[in-house]
Amino acid sequence: MYTLEVQNPVAEQRGVVNSFTTSPRPKSLDGLTVGLLWSGTHGGDVALNTAADLIKQRFNDVTVNFYNGNNYPAPEHIRQKCAEESDVVIGATAD
Amino acid sequence: MIEIEKTGVPAVPIVSGRFVEDAVASTRAFGMPSLQWVVVPRIYRNLEHDLCRSQTADVIDDLIGQLTSEIDARVSDIDTVGSRTYEADDRYEAVLAMNDDLISEDFGDGLPLFPATKEAVEKMLTGTNLPPDHVVCDMPPGFGIATVEKIAINSVMAGAKPEHLPVVIAAVKAISNIQADGGKSLLMSTSPQAPFLIVNGPIIDELGFNPRSAIGPGRDNQVNTVVGRAFAMCFRNIGYWYPGKMDMDTIGTTRKFIQCIAENEEMSPWDPFHVDQGFNRDESTVSLFITDGELDQQDQGNTTAEGLLKNLAYGCVFGTKSIQEKGHTQRLILMPPDVAGPVGKQEFTKQAAKEFIQANANHSLGKMIQYMPLEGEARVAEKWKWLENLTEEQRLEIEFPVMDSAEDCYILVVGADRAKTAILPSGPAPVTEGIDQYRA
Repeated sequence: MYTLEVQNPVAEQRGVVNSFTTSPRPKSLDGLTVGLLWSGTHGGDVALNTAADLIKQRFNDVTVNFYNGNNYPAPEHIRQKCAEESDVVIGATAD
Repeated sequence: MIEIEKTGVPAVPIVSGRFVEDAVASTRAFGMPSLQWVVVPRIYRNLEHDLCRSQTADVIDDLIGQLTSEIDARVSDIDTVGSRTYEADDRYEAVLAMNDDLISEDFGDGLPLFPATKEAVEKMLTGTNLPPDHVVCDMPPGFGIATVEKIAINSVMAGAKPEHLPVVIAAVKAISNIQADGGKSLLMSTSPQAPFLIVNGPIIDELGFNPRSAIGPGRDNQVNTVVGRAFAMCFRNIGYWYPGKMDMDTIGTTRKFIQCIAENEEMSPWDPFHVDQGFNRDESTVSLFITDGELDQQDQGNTTAEGLLKNLAYGCVFGTKSIQEKGHTQRLILMPPDVAGPVGKQEFTKQAAKEFIQANANHSLGKMIQYMPLEGEARVAEKWKWLENLTEEQRLEIEFPVMDSAEDCYILVVGADRAKTAILPSGPAPVTEGIDQYRA
């Protein structure tokens, strides 16, 4: 019987070593502002607006803001504006 | 989304079908393994709007749930520490078992792997002056921690020798310096961008890199192939560039079997590329380009510099011209001695040749932007907004240079006899890294 032992080629990821947790969730979307962050690709805007329309049908006093990120990832100043003005954010990876 | 979550705002992306594995890998890479998302079956970009709406409506309950409920973290552990053991009747059978296992885990490129035993890795490490735990960089796109030991393990698996290790280390370092983020978005694209490595300096002869028919299989290209493969193995297992996870190609390319070629410095009429990049001629370097295609531009009889370069400029319009804000169209030109020689002899400096090519590489703007429908397209830079007011016919009639400046054109002399140039759409700008600092 022959035993072969080999070393592990896979590296640890920096993002796992220094990881963050997700933010606390609101109980409801009533009265909140929903940010839609678009990456700029065809169809992603349609998806985000559809989601917003459906959310507005189910919750009261929802405000929707649309942010055109123009790219993936969105430029920092647009991400910041979106985060500052929104209670929750929806994005789409469209391509 | 992760950056928004980090500010304390819940953020949920809608992820298209085959991008789920990408989402898992990306959340690990970018520091939030517990990020939530919802999944729709099809990619939006080329989908009819009715389908965009209906597939979004189908996931609205899930989306609202992700925004309003605390959900257990979606974390998958990946073993990065332990060794693997295989028992068989003999060594050959054990190596076969190892290959079955490692390839099924997607830790290889599909071809047979060499066993990275403790002894083989120790021998590999004699090729560098760096200690095994030295961190070379966080390697994109997955930002794995590239220790010298992990680079050595992957190099052994690729069949490299200790003297190759410094080149691999330099190439790993180089890719971490492509753009501010290591070009992660580009590497994860659905287009087949792939790294391409070129060495310069005394190391070409010392290690036996082939600068002639340099791309392809066979005895002459053994070093080109093995060093490129070692880098590709690192890219996979350290950079997490796994197909379907952080490499989202639509079709793919054989350029992902990465090769590390050499410039034909002896046959070049100009300074070698690493001198252009600020190194001394007697230093050894590796330059890393990101390429997105390859064209063989044949020349059928030109003997004047202008004729040779005009033909070559025409080849440069193959591919596309970006009109995005961050878009930058570049071309890597692997110019054979039978083109470079006459051009240099007829008193064209390399810079003059680049300027001539850029000035003559013109084509229909409408075609170079891929007949893109601009209505509703957000990824158009401010300076190109005027295109939106034109008809498709008007866009097709405009002749425009594919490259904005001569600095977007990179010339390296590579190849054997015959005036056949390889032109590769490339970008962002290449990175050149010194090798000597990593040698034992």
